[in-house]
Amino acid sequence: MTDAAAAEPADDQGQTRDLSNARDMIVCEEVSKWYGDFRALDKISTTIKEQEVVVVLGPSGSGKSTWIRCINRLEIHQEGRIVVDDVELTNDLRNIEQVRSEVGMVFQQFNLFPHLKVIDNVSLAPIWVRKKPRAEAEEQAMAQLERVGIPEQAHKYPGQLSGGQQQRVAIARALAMEPKIMLFDEVTSALDPEMVKEVLDIMKTLALSGMTMMVVTHEMGFAKEVADRIIFMEEGQIVEQGTPTHFFENPTEDRTKLFLSQIL
Amino acid sequence: MSEFAGLGANLGMSTGMIPITAPPETPKLPPREWVKANLFSSPFNSVLTVVASIIILAITRGLMSFIFNPQRQWDATATNLRLLMTQAYPEEQYLRIWIATAVVFTLTGLSLAVWRAGSAVPLSDVGRRLLTFGGTIALLVLLAPFSVRATIIWLVVAVAVAGGGEALRRLVDDERTMSTLGILLIGLSGLVGSLWVIPYGNHTFQLHRTPRVLAEPGTVALTTKLPWTVMLLVAVAAYFLGIFIRERLPTNAPRITLLLLWLLMPPTLLYLVLRDPSFDMGHVLGTDIPIFLVYAVLGGALLNWLARPSTGEIGRIVAALVLVAAFAAFLTPMRMIVRLDMLVLAAFALAAPTFSGGPRARKNYVIGWLGFLGIMSWLVTAINTPSTVKVPGQFFIGGLSLTLIVAVFTIVISFPLGLALALARTSNMPIFRLLATWFIEFVRGVPMITILIFFSIMVPLFLPPGMHLGEVAAVIIGYSLFSAAYLAENVRGGLQSVTRGQHEAAEAVGMTTSQKTVFIVLPQALRISIPPLVGHCIGVFKETSLLAIIGLFDVLFIARSVMPNQTEFMGSTKENVLFVSLIYWIFCYQMSKASQRLERRTGLGER
Repeated sequence: MTDAAAAEPADDQGQTRDLSNARDMIVCEEVSKWYGDFRALDKISTTIKEQEVVVVLGPSGSGKSTWIRCINRLEIHQEGRIVVDDVELTNDLRNIEQVRSEVGMVFQQFNLFPHLKVIDNVSLAPIWVRKKPRAEAEEQAMAQLERVGIPEQAHKYPGQLSGGQQQRVAIARALAMEPKIMLFDEVTSALDPEMVKEVLDIMKTLALSGMTMMVVTHEMGFAKEVADRIIFMEEGQIVEQGTPTHFFENPTEDRTKLFLSQIL
Repeated sequence: MSEFAGLGANLGMSTGMIPITAPPETPKLPPREWVKANLFSSPFNSVLTVVASIIILAITRGLMSFIFNPQRQWDATATNLRLLMTQAYPEEQYLRIWIATAVVFTLTGLSLAVWRAGSAVPLSDVGRRLLTFGGTIALLVLLAPFSVRATIIWLVVAVAVAGGGEALRRLVDDERTMSTLGILLIGLSGLVGSLWVIPYGNHTFQLHRTPRVLAEPGTVALTTKLPWTVMLLVAVAAYFLGIFIRERLPTNAPRITLLLLWLLMPPTLLYLVLRDPSFDMGHVLGTDIPIFLVYAVLGGALLNWLARPSTGEIGRIVAALVLVAAFAAFLTPMRMIVRLDMLVLAAFALAAPTFSGGPRARKNYVIGWLGFLGIMSWLVTAINTPSTVKVPGQFFIGGLSLTLIVAVFTIVISFPLGLALALARTSNMPIFRLLATWFIEFVRGVPMITILIFFSIMVPLFLPPGMHLGEVAAVIIGYSLFSAAYLAENVRGGLQSVTRGQHEAAEAVGMTTSQKTVFIVLPQALRISIPPLVGHCIGVFKETSLLAIIGLFDVLFIARSVMPNQTEFMGSTKENVLFVSLIYWIFCYQMSKASQRLERRTGLGER
């Protein structure tokens, strides 16, 4: 039943883009993961197309973060297949390094490198992973900082910035690797309310520019406005998925209705 | 008092007039009110202050009467300074020591300039310090058991110092500043100048005691006043040279060059002072240089290939094979230099993918290899060459020089070793982890003395015939292994404090494990480890005093066992040990200050 929802994304929406002809960027087949006896992911299967923006919702402990972290192998799945941009994630280090350099990730706790200036935070990986000349990498880093709106902070240390600014640097750091996919793991949860908007605005612009995105969030407004598809998870399973209109206005599953009644 | 009142009025006015109120400045209390607020705030606090003051005064008085007791034989240390510094180093070679010292001073002067050391202090602050200093002198003079005349002379000095300070404080306006380096220079000039005025062994404060006149040493190199004056001039000249360089070159080039020179300095000076090898040119041209050239050309080509981003997995396999070959080389009879070169080549080969990149990156990497290979070849050749410094007996350097040599070498060698051990112990490769854990736990479970004894007595027995390892070299190796085990644990603490998020962020942008370690984990771990690491260095420096147990003449051993047995200075142990502890304290305190500066500097940007 959940597969059926994925197969035909609601077509009555004018705003929904038709992505059925786009390439598959992320393919998950029966992905499962256990922490000891606890089953964190239970046979997750879905396909994310190029340029698609997928928002993953669900209560705490439902496995959203675990899943998104499996996609660049910060967590290791134990069963099933994950294929990212035609590269399957296995124990082969070369595949992992290739996937990681194609997939950008932004974390809840920013995880900026505190001993490096903002510009070095952004240009470090292009220099050493992409092997770009330093001058070129720094020029591009400045361009990314301008994209997220804080070029004037380039020569400060992360500790001197506000939370929202730090998260924007983190987005610039991920973008500097010119990734094909961006993963956002509850990026606004650690921010003060007045800083949430500046980060969400950047994510919206990014989505409009055609980036393939997978976003774990609790921001329902963002999900409604930006998502091509919403995936609702509970207890490690995909319970329901569909367009924002379908998801927020006439969800089919009882658990989805319960979740929506609690948060709206 | 009046200036504080003025300040208060100013503040009041400004807060009244400007709508945006600045945070109220905590007013600086005048001395009397500060004392009242901090030392006599409550009855209990007052009692505490009085009791503590009495105890401090009593201890100071005891110390002063110990130091200035007419029975004290301070001329023991004054006469034996050369013994304390270098022990039995041959007098006719003493010029080498001064050249070595001049090299250290040159590098120090250059570094001070290139790193823009020193800061500006307001002259009024200097005045305040001088005032306090004069007051302290006066207090000490009153506590010391001086004759009336000596007391008056010293009180005049104290009042002059304090008066000068007060004059500076009052007469100079607040804007005028002075460089801390200038103050340092004045202090050092004063010390060096005093060498010209006060001959050693003549103590003005022991007025009733006949000054002992020292025998004037034979050559200039054996005196103190002229060489030290030259040293000071060398340092000043080097400082101005450093400024000249700083203003004309980009920042990084001189700094990197200086760091390399500092690293090269200890072995170079050691060979200059202790060995000055007389190279057998036939052997050098016929064997050493060909070996160097073979490794330089073939190794350079190999590394150039390995550092190509396109080389990939085959490169890693080749690098691992080189490592195996290097270990195999230790099982077959061949020249030590061939094996060592192979081992270092393997290390460079394994690290090559981390530093891979375009033609420029590869060129830099190969140049690094050539430089390292050249230095190592020179060192090994120098070790295997007989010395031109001929001296009777086996050990010919001791005292503070020995202490410094052993401490500097141990710290320099054990640092990379400890880092490697810490990384191995936290790595997720079981073999490395197991080996590192066993090594650390074994070494930490054994007293240092047993390791020193083992390395000085037992190791020469195990060496292959024909190979000779000097006692000091053996001790340095043993001590470095010992120190590395402790250092590894300090670094491991730092490694653990790097959060999981930092690892994940580095992995998420596609860094390899070694890139993550070099650029993200180690810088943060080392910064956190600065206090324990410097504490460790201080410990290494002080524990060199254990060298006496295996028969080396370190500075403390000379002070407690050699000098008190000289017929002139029978039983001068107490004075000598006090003097030596002052020497230790000066060095350790400087390390401690350096640690604080380093913490401040690297703490930049932390909130």
